[in-house]
Amino acid sequence: MTDPWWVRVARSATATAMMSIALFVLAIVYTSTGGSARELLIKELLINLMLVLGLQVFMGNTGILSFGHLAFAQVAAYAVAICAIPIATKSQQLPDLPFGLGDVHLGSLTATLVGVLVALALGAIVGIAVARTGGLAAAMITLAVLFVVDQVVKNWQELTKGAGGLSGVPILKGTLWLWLAAVLAMFVAHWFGETRAGRFAVATREDEIAAPSLGIGMFGARLTAWTVSIAVIGLAGSLRVQTIGSTNPRQYTLDAAVLVLAMLVVGGMRTVTGAVVGTVVITVGNETFRQLGDPQRLDIERFPDLFLGAALLLVMLLRPGGLLGDIELARWLRRVTRRSRPVTGRVAPERSAPLVADDIEVRFGGFTALDGAGLRVQPGEVVGLIGPNGAGKTTLFNVVTGLVESRSGVVRLGDHDLSRSRPHDVARAGLARTFQNLRLFANLSVRENVTIAALAAGRYRRGEPPVDVDGLIAAAGLTELSDRQARTLDYGNQRRLELARAAALSPEFLLLDEPTSGMSDDESAAMVVQVRTTAASVGAGVLVIDHDLAFITRISDHVVVLSEGVVIAEGTPDEVRRSPAVATAYLGSGA
Amino acid sequence: MTTLLQNLVDGLGRGSTYALLALGISLIFGVMHLVNFAHAELITVGAYVAYGLSTRDVNWWVLVVAIVVSSVAASIAIERVAFRWVRDASPFTMLLTSFAIERLSHALWQVLVSPKKKSFPGPGWAFDTWTIGSVRFEIMDLLTIAVTVGVLVLTALVFRRTLFGIAVRGAAEDFDAARLMGVRANRVIAGAFAYAGFLAGVAAVMILMRSPTAEPTLGADWLLKAVVAAIIGGLGSFSGAVIGGLALGLAEVFLRSYLPDGTPQRLTDAFVFSLIALLFIVRPAGLFRVATAERV
Repeated sequence: MTDPWWVRVARSATATAMMSIALFVLAIVYTSTGGSARELLIKELLINLMLVLGLQVFMGNTGILSFGHLAFAQVAAYAVAICAIPIATKSQQLPDLPFGLGDVHLGSLTATLVGVLVALALGAIVGIAVARTGGLAAAMITLAVLFVVDQVVKNWQELTKGAGGLSGVPILKGTLWLWLAAVLAMFVAHWFGETRAGRFAVATREDEIAAPSLGIGMFGARLTAWTVSIAVIGLAGSLRVQTIGSTNPRQYTLDAAVLVLAMLVVGGMRTVTGAVVGTVVITVGNETFRQLGDPQRLDIERFPDLFLGAALLLVMLLRPGGLLGDIELARWLRRVTRRSRPVTGRVAPERSAPLVADDIEVRFGGFTALDGAGLRVQPGEVVGLIGPNGAGKTTLFNVVTGLVESRSGVVRLGDHDLSRSRPHDVARAGLARTFQNLRLFANLSVRENVTIAALAAGRYRRGEPPVDVDGLIAAAGLTELSDRQARTLDYGNQRRLELARAAALSPEFLLLDEPTSGMSDDESAAMVVQVRTTAASVGAGVLVIDHDLAFITRISDHVVVLSEGVVIAEGTPDEVRRSPAVATAYLGSGA
Repeated sequence: MTTLLQNLVDGLGRGSTYALLALGISLIFGVMHLVNFAHAELITVGAYVAYGLSTRDVNWWVLVVAIVVSSVAASIAIERVAFRWVRDASPFTMLLTSFAIERLSHALWQVLVSPKKKSFPGPGWAFDTWTIGSVRFEIMDLLTIAVTVGVLVLTALVFRRTLFGIAVRGAAEDFDAARLMGVRANRVIAGAFAYAGFLAGVAAVMILMRSPTAEPTLGADWLLKAVVAAIIGGLGSFSGAVIGGLALGLAEVFLRSYLPDGTPQRLTDAFVFSLIALLFIVRPAGLFRVATAERV
């Protein structure tokens, strides 16, 4: 993942080539046994493939459901049709064409380019809204866009000739161009998965809170994935109209959108391999049922729907991750081509900025969670934060990392005021955290979890020396498990992985929220070593919350005690242990 | 003034059908975080049952009962056969499961009955009008509004007063906690589906009263508006769903009547959906945010 760019390009190209050859052989075998009519199915398959891959780039990487991608394929198709239909034919079909488009006549290649650009231009507007919202709201926005485009196309007679559609678009000869475009789409989808932007998008899919805690901005990651995916979809629409020779709104309905969606999820939307397999399975199955349902046989027009519904239902009930789940050609290639390149001579940078939180006040409704609490961590120092349940420890973390807004108070890293910063800005400034409830990228491997943080460090923490991913994984004792999915790890290993991931951001300070919770005494003792070596290797100071007093005493240079939102004591571990105020807070006044 | 009143009644009539459907969708989302795109298929079930019975010359009022009963039964059956098995899966998986059922339903009606529209006689009085002053109301609009108000009052009572209703609300709030308090998951979820089926059945009666036809994709037209209404209101919020439905109905009717002349009538939907897109940009969680503070 941190391989040089040419290795990643080569890998994407190899995966694309292997898939293309497999598809090509299948296509040759299929067409050679059945004459030219069979070429139609191949064309349909290739067009579907481009549509599905376009959707995969966005949905597969960001996890946001989109119904609206086909709207942009439709926009591209109309743009191509209006530019490419010969002027004589056009003046008959569209006598009132606005914007002087009646005199435009472009060649196939230029028209395709125009189609993609028009789709991108409209897509950018929608993309901004989708990237801002995410989740179900984004899915609803895309649904609305599908309908708006459909209605506009059906009603803007002068431009589109309405529901009947446009015909007379020059048809591309043979299947060569279609193959080239499909191969290009496959390459783009593979390559996007290998880029930093692609990995960041995946991080936002896996956890909407953990990704910003590594400096990854949700908006940027989603918008990049959206833009690339709309470009692919635009290409698909442009080629579709030039393959069929005509375009009309019936090709881009919600039903069609669900069909494309089904192709993506049946194979497995998280991977390009899954998208390709799903497209083949559904396209072939659909065609089989169409032939079964044709007038000579069963005479049921929508027979393919039966297949589609049943296939989708079975996959969802039995294999919700898709037929292939996370099995992926590119991942396998990544594993077999990986060379370990030890990072040598890495010197942890000198830090001089202290982390200061001062006079923080937070209220939730009528409850005062923090009432003027504050603390200070010197560079390279380990500070323990303890206190009874409900004392406000995690709230203080959340204020410092920008997840919770405080009513008053200041958070500063050196001269840098972080009081009103958003989570990803706090992370970029140099604070990395772990979470009490563990927020790993569950579907990604151990190595990918750490690598994404290292990529974020490379992007947002420019002054830092490169991070030793293998070293951090080794310090967490996870070398043997580095290809396992994070969600399959046991609890202790998940905690250790989260620490390694936070450290890979190369932060000035590590904020650890209960790193030993749920661990045995032995594991907790080992955690002291991991925290110390990991922090030292990236030159970070540590602020750590824990309930295990033995752990806190052993690891901390300085301990801060919080109770009911106020700091009631601080000092060396010994001083704190002797403090009467601490005994009262923990054991009640009688102690 | 006259047009205003007429539009108002027209919009509320449309909106209350959306509201009934949206309430069912919101209810099911509340108990199991499923956005049920198969919900409106219950209307189709009711329509075909009514069509089947009407060929045997059954009285309209018997049809009404049959429509509601079949909708409840179908709702329970779908939960038992499909949704129960994905209950613990991601919301995304559940949503796609509901899409699969919608698709299957469309196909099955075509295979079992016919791809063509099947009409049956509705009640003769539905299109009668009732004039107050200079304003003419259609009976079915008034009836739809009255029935909806009645059903909503009933719903409020069920969810405030009965043990079942409280269990469902508790489950909607925090399912695991409700389970620990002794609420039985299977029974609550099946009950929620049954009630959603009842609401859809009533909506189906209102729809079939206006246009008594059965066709495979009958549900599809209503589904989207209902889902949108439920999400506008904030999924899981019951009053939100009702307000979302009414707002959508009113928006449609008023936009249609106040858009400048010459705007094609069919562009109304484009405007409605543009407004919806804007709403989600401004308020991603819908109008009524259901508290879902995530612990970090």
